[in-house]
Amino acid sequence: MASPSQLPRSPLVAKLTRPVARPLAVTYRWVDERLGVSDLTHQLLYEAVPRRGAWAYSLGSATLIIIVLQIVTGMFLLWTYVPSTTEAWGSLNYIEHHDEFAAIVRGMHLWGAYVLLIIIGLHMIRTFVSGSYKKPRELNWIVGVVLFLLVLGLGITGAMLPWDQAAYWTATVVTHVVDYIPLFGNWIQQILRGGPQMGPETLTRFFAIHIWLLPALLVPLVLLHLVLLRRHGEHGSWVNYEGVQTEPESVRAERMATAEYPYPALPSDPGYAVPVDIDDFFPSQVFKDALVSFGLVLLIFVMAVVVGAPLERAANPAALNYVPTPEWFFLPLDQLLVQFPQAWMIPVGVFVLPGIGTTLLILVPFLDRSPEREPWRRPEVMVPALFAALFLVFEALLAVNRLFNL
Amino acid sequence: MIVSINGIGAGIALMIGAPIVGSVLSPLFAKRKTPWVLVADVAQVAVGVPTAYVVNLPIDEGWSVPPVPRTVYVVKLNLNGTVQMITLSNVCTHMQCDVHWDINLEQFLCPCHGGLYSIDGTNIGGPPPWPLFRYQHKLVGNTLYVRNVLTGIGA
Repeated sequence: MASPSQLPRSPLVAKLTRPVARPLAVTYRWVDERLGVSDLTHQLLYEAVPRRGAWAYSLGSATLIIIVLQIVTGMFLLWTYVPSTTEAWGSLNYIEHHDEFAAIVRGMHLWGAYVLLIIIGLHMIRTFVSGSYKKPRELNWIVGVVLFLLVLGLGITGAMLPWDQAAYWTATVVTHVVDYIPLFGNWIQQILRGGPQMGPETLTRFFAIHIWLLPALLVPLVLLHLVLLRRHGEHGSWVNYEGVQTEPESVRAERMATAEYPYPALPSDPGYAVPVDIDDFFPSQVFKDALVSFGLVLLIFVMAVVVGAPLERAANPAALNYVPTPEWFFLPLDQLLVQFPQAWMIPVGVFVLPGIGTTLLILVPFLDRSPEREPWRRPEVMVPALFAALFLVFEALLAVNRLFNL
Repeated sequence: MIVSINGIGAGIALMIGAPIVGSVLSPLFAKRKTPWVLVADVAQVAVGVPTAYVVNLPIDEGWSVPPVPRTVYVVKLNLNGTVQMITLSNVCTHMQCDVHWDINLEQFLCPCHGGLYSIDGTNIGGPPPWPLFRYQHKLVGNTLYVRNVLTGIGA
């Protein structure tokens, strides 16, 4: 692609902009010689991506954009928020009533979190359905699952910070769940709470976990996710590999020989190292990514302005008529708390079932090892996954019915 | 040389790690004061009617000791002619939500996951694994004092 300095420009424009353009160009050249920005930009933008189904791949970049949005809005929430049980609620109540822009920032942080969870979910479903986790991309699937768990952790720790009624009871239940871990549960609960009961150190601990510990794990893993993506190339969806299992050896050899960077992805199953049809990442894919991200950020912005982030009454541990409800993304787990009653059953609902689910999710690439990518031709993984997804929806609906008496 | 580098690295990790681990584990070893706190004159509490009192219990944790409002249910039970008084914590033994006395059900009800307790705190329905815990209490005349020490199975 032509660099901006090579673009055709009218003589008049060239003459008028010269006093600014020349020093800028000289400065840019000076920096570029030392930093290598041009090479880096070139490497980042110029790669081949699968052509068909490209709108679906924009979910990954949208996830990245929303994570950046969360980090930036979070930074600026800290300009007013005070992580103290006596002042947290007051600092946010002040925002809600006296600082309209900060209230929007807070709303964007909340709705950004909600949209992020949904987009990560869709991103995982897309990856699952198109079999993109298969050889050689198993590790990237695992990194992705860990990132999903970290975002769930960020979501639940963030929900504790306003120290209103909803936050207080969320923190109470979440820190009491760990008490049911055999042997060490009570110690872990005390370490998380700063004591046997909910108190001032409970909030400072979860504040630290939310703004430092989890992001410090999240950011490097996001980078690793991207490095692995670029190392193996986008797999795209199954439609980019139609016919590869029956194609003549010569066709396959031809595709391998003429593959564009970063293909061929090795070690792939035969036929799946290079998509049948490719496109440029820049500008074709970037354009689609930008449009989808714009739409999502617009949605987050509108929800922040129109709905905003709720703030209930300040935490009152003595409340008798308050009905705590979990964040929507924890409804299925909350329902398991009801379905597994009494001392020895509780750990089954709290740890054993979610643990089995998480383990299976991590092991997906090692359970589904056939080269087949087409979802209709691998019912042995699609059908159980569909049942698992329906189970989660069913549990969430049961919880909604129980909590809101619909 | 390489062994020394590993040793030096381990030394650095130990010096940074040991104080951090110690500070993280410190709540396990903290000594906590649990003073007696005045509840109320409970002479008027009727037998068989659980009565809620809000008590500001000091939570001895960290740098600040804010009094945390907690509900204590004072229950007078008629056991074969003798009246026994118990002071129930209203914290559900399942996930520690606040239970309340439901006048129609005549049971303690937990709004979170539907736990049910009888008037003496026995868990009789839903997921709670244990009876409601009881605060340690003392009576000076008719004046009730409790302190932040819970008793009961699983407490």
